[in-house]
Amino acid sequence: MVTSWLIGVAILILIAIFFFIYYNKFIRLNNQIDNSLAQIDVQLKKRADLVPNLLESVKGYMKHEKTVITEVTNARKVLVGAKDVVGKVKAGNALQTALGHLFAIAENYPNLKANENFLQLQNELSAIEDKVAYARQYYNDAILSLNTSVTTLPGKWFASIYGFGKREYLQIPAESRAVPKVSFE
Amino acid sequence: MENIRISFHEEIRKNKIYSTILIFVVLFFLVALVYVIGLAIGGVDVFILSILAVVISVSYVLLTYYNSDKIAIASVGAKFANPSTHKNYYDLVEGLTLASGMPMPKLYIMESEQINAFASGRSPDKAVICITTGALKKLNKQELEGVLAHEISHVANYDIRFMTITAVMVGLISIISQIFLRSLWFQGNNRNDKSSTIFMLIGIALAILAPIAVFFVQLAISRKREYGADASAVKFMRTPTGLINALEKIKRENEDVEIKVSSAIAPLFLVKPSKKTKELFQTHPDINKRIEKLKKM
Repeated sequence: MVTSWLIGVAILILIAIFFFIYYNKFIRLNNQIDNSLAQIDVQLKKRADLVPNLLESVKGYMKHEKTVITEVTNARKVLVGAKDVVGKVKAGNALQTALGHLFAIAENYPNLKANENFLQLQNELSAIEDKVAYARQYYNDAILSLNTSVTTLPGKWFASIYGFGKREYLQIPAESRAVPKVSFE
Repeated sequence: MENIRISFHEEIRKNKIYSTILIFVVLFFLVALVYVIGLAIGGVDVFILSILAVVISVSYVLLTYYNSDKIAIASVGAKFANPSTHKNYYDLVEGLTLASGMPMPKLYIMESEQINAFASGRSPDKAVICITTGALKKLNKQELEGVLAHEISHVANYDIRFMTITAVMVGLISIISQIFLRSLWFQGNNRNDKSSTIFMLIGIALAILAPIAVFFVQLAISRKREYGADASAVKFMRTPTGLINALEKIKRENEDVEIKVSSAIAPLFLVKPSKKTKELFQTHPDINKRIEKLKKM
């Protein structure tokens, strides 16, 4: 009699432990996703903040390159004005492309290429490009972990009890990782 | 690629469990050793002696455990990396922390022509990463990133905690064994009874075998962990190229430069810091084997 009681209690405790573990797991995975979105946001903001300085540094050299300067300025404006993450990431991509055009044109201006300030900003922006790519990669990994755990058993049961579900990937073409251009000796 | 995009939570959980088990096994072993030593020496209260041993070793373990990052950094004479002069170093590590979801570790630099690096600390938020000046000078951006990704993986997989604990435990066991073995020289030979001699022999055997056993366990675990960290590095970077090129370069350039480090620190490094010949005593797997595995990813 006593032993069957004990076994019953043990099973109940075991089930309770599973409930705790899965609840914490879902919370942790969701936090990971939110946190990685915040990280993407931070990097995009840094990128937007550097653009005015960059434009300032190229102004004297690239007077006749109005098209690309306007492209960069407009892309930045869209990024700063974007409200949601998808909009921000999209605008961030557009800005990255515009900056790519600007840096390509800068190749034709040896004086600009020798400008310390410009080089520093170029390095900084390319580092940010890498960081955005990494943050997005982590975001995708985090979504994958969550979606796996809420669609496989026994996680699926617990997820439906707690009301956790799959989360969507950002529907944006991936930003290509920057190919390392410079080796620092 | 697909098969390495797995969650490393399992690996981390295993590391945490192994760490705990290791601590208890070693502590148990230690008490047994002290008990036998007590019986062998005779004339002492073994119970008191055991308690004393536990108290001393627990405080030793806690002290070294909580200061392990500082000890490792100090023992190689590394200096804190200046964020403005080593911006590339910081940028690469920051990118990798974003890829791995890890907090930013403290970054250090040690003077050496050898291309090498290590990670230490008891947990990811107390982690330190240290790289040699040789690595900063000789590796290009992608190779350096590969090396740093390997070190971040040690942090993310909780290898740094496990390695710290094994290093502390190896140290502890060898200290106790040394004390016992040396104390034998100063023994009087006034004890002729049989049981004392038997315990004495058991004590000697344990004192000699224990450090060796723990040392080999440490080596085996350490080698396995390097492959694991290589795999996670590829997971974070999505390409093995950087790390492969770095290892190829290390193979060519580390030929005649050595770093003198204690055997407790050696397993933490990316590649073995000093030259040893016997495979059995290697803390690190053969570089060629690592490159081979990386190329298959």
